[in-house]
Amino acid sequence: MGQQIESALRQSMHRVLVVLVSFLPGVMVFLLAVVLLTALGHLLAAMAKRLLTTAHFDERLAAKETSGSPASLSDWSPSHSPTLLVSRAILWVCILAGIAIGISAFDASYSANSQLSQFLLPYLTHVLGAVLLLLFGSLLARFLSRTVLIGAVNAQLQYARFLSLGVKWLVLVLTAAMALDHLQIGGTIVELAFGILFGGIVLTLSLAIGLGSRDLVSRSIEKSIEKPAARPVDTSAFPDASEAPRSKLRHF
Amino acid sequence: MPIAEVTNTAPQQASAVAGEQYNTGSPLLVCLPWVTADSLQNMRTRVATAFPERAALIAVAENSGAASQAQASDNIRMVDYPATSRGQVGWALTANDYLGASQLALEHGAAATLVLGAEAVSLSTEALQRLAEAVLRGEADLAIPRYTMGPQDALVSSALLYPLTRALFGISVHLPLPLDAAFSTRMAKRIAAINRPANTTASEPLLWTVAEAATTLLTVREIDAGKRTLPRPVDIDLNSLLTEVTGSLFSDIELKASFWQRARATVPAKPATQSVHSTAESGQLEDIREMAEAFRNAYTNLQDIWSLVLPPQSLLGLKKVSRVPAEDFEVPPDLWARTVYDFVLAYHLRTINRGHLLGALTPLYLAWVASHLRRSAGDDALAASHVEETAAAFVTEKPYIVARWRWPDRFNP
Repeated sequence: MGQQIESALRQSMHRVLVVLVSFLPGVMVFLLAVVLLTALGHLLAAMAKRLLTTAHFDERLAAKETSGSPASLSDWSPSHSPTLLVSRAILWVCILAGIAIGISAFDASYSANSQLSQFLLPYLTHVLGAVLLLLFGSLLARFLSRTVLIGAVNAQLQYARFLSLGVKWLVLVLTAAMALDHLQIGGTIVELAFGILFGGIVLTLSLAIGLGSRDLVSRSIEKSIEKPAARPVDTSAFPDASEAPRSKLRHF
Repeated sequence: MPIAEVTNTAPQQASAVAGEQYNTGSPLLVCLPWVTADSLQNMRTRVATAFPERAALIAVAENSGAASQAQASDNIRMVDYPATSRGQVGWALTANDYLGASQLALEHGAAATLVLGAEAVSLSTEALQRLAEAVLRGEADLAIPRYTMGPQDALVSSALLYPLTRALFGISVHLPLPLDAAFSTRMAKRIAAINRPANTTASEPLLWTVAEAATTLLTVREIDAGKRTLPRPVDIDLNSLLTEVTGSLFSDIELKASFWQRARATVPAKPATQSVHSTAESGQLEDIREMAEAFRNAYTNLQDIWSLVLPPQSLLGLKKVSRVPAEDFEVPPDLWARTVYDFVLAYHLRTINRGHLLGALTPLYLAWVASHLRRSAGDDALAASHVEETAAAFVTEKPYIVARWRWPDRFNP
């Protein structure tokens, strides 16, 4: 009995060691590829930066850009320096290339027809995709919620914040559902929950807008009926049509 | 009659240039927008009356249909614009208007160019004469009209464009985005050199000629032009128009940072006065109440966005403003000046998306309008006083933007 247990433990230990021995070189190769390519990236970036600085790349580009241009390369550059943008782009291309090479090398050294690698490696790419989805979704949610908030405030809607929050959560819920679907977690439960949540938010927003706009529409109708008799509009002053009550204001 | 002048050229040099320009027989170029045949005939008669001794060229947009019907005379000749340089009527002169006019001026060797905007027929002959004479006599490289307007007119200019131009570029012109303008050959060369609308993406890019003149040390003069019919913007949405105009101005300020950051002698600032408690008319009070309520709504909802742009001191000031009843509603000029400067800086630093930033400025601008309505109480003199007080606050607070531009992190909330 004792011998059998000892034998089983030894075999288990042996399998663990075999897996570890086949796993570690792959990790080493991955790290080596990333480190080497990062070092190469730094070298190339430094060379590009020096070359572009010597050639007065920033000044030449600035001279070519128009004064009224709403967006230029320097606007998108860190510290408004296209040279810095180019050098950093080179660095990151090298780092990403290192990661890609490292993963393929890791895959080659570790595959060994093991079920784990067949499952884990494709899943890692799914995880990466899901993370990117979440990142992009949260950025989009923030952008859209701000757009809605500012637009609603400028339209003088009382429920601006509520509307903005609604849009934000709408996008976040959609993103989360997409990420979970991408990871193949939850299956139909996620789809069902997403449908209920998404529909609920849309219904809530519709009700809010409908109920809120009821007063807005009635006020607008009241004003359009009362205005001609009570306060004649001075057409020679060219009033701002969006500012109906402030008929005499000229912003431009 | 000139009503404001900022001379960047030495007087002797200016008078020498004056004599040189006025004595030559170079023609006067008058650039008109799209006009009917009757309006064109009217303008021809008035140009002939205003400048009997001088040859004049009149340029009209090709598609107006009036150019073909116009007949040439001894002194006045019709010329065509370069293709697509002059569009339909607008509420202000655009970069294309200036570019087309400057190209024509250089091509025909015009001594002075008079660019007129929509509804130019409503401009008096004396105003046309004064504008052109200021340039022809060499008194100015750029003559900008100042129309007789009411206390509720040109509010964006009064709140933003005039104070910023005066404080940063040292030129006291009340309509930096004019509807008409006159400029010299030197200015035409400058415009032709700087303006390349082919590379811009905006449908109607604006050109800040006053700032251009200031940075190139050209003389600018403001001319009293009397009453004029002001055309209505095609896009009547205040938010989009305000975003377009302030975005263009902020970009120009960003571009010319090295100029306005240098210590310069500016127009003497009028000291800020104590808060005046004017009583607005009952109709206006209703408007003010509504605008104050809108500001309170904006303050409640936009605090998160404003806090990314404004320092705590300004946020506290806005909080106080939001709690004041409509009868006493006022955005103090110094608070308004610092707020606008903070927005200019945030635009430069791209603290948040530029569209969002300019959209978040609209409620603050409307709060200033409410203050202006309350302070002016329908009176021209009180309105002018409030505008000057606002402009003076921008001059006084200029060191704030200079310091924040150089060391933005020092003041970060």
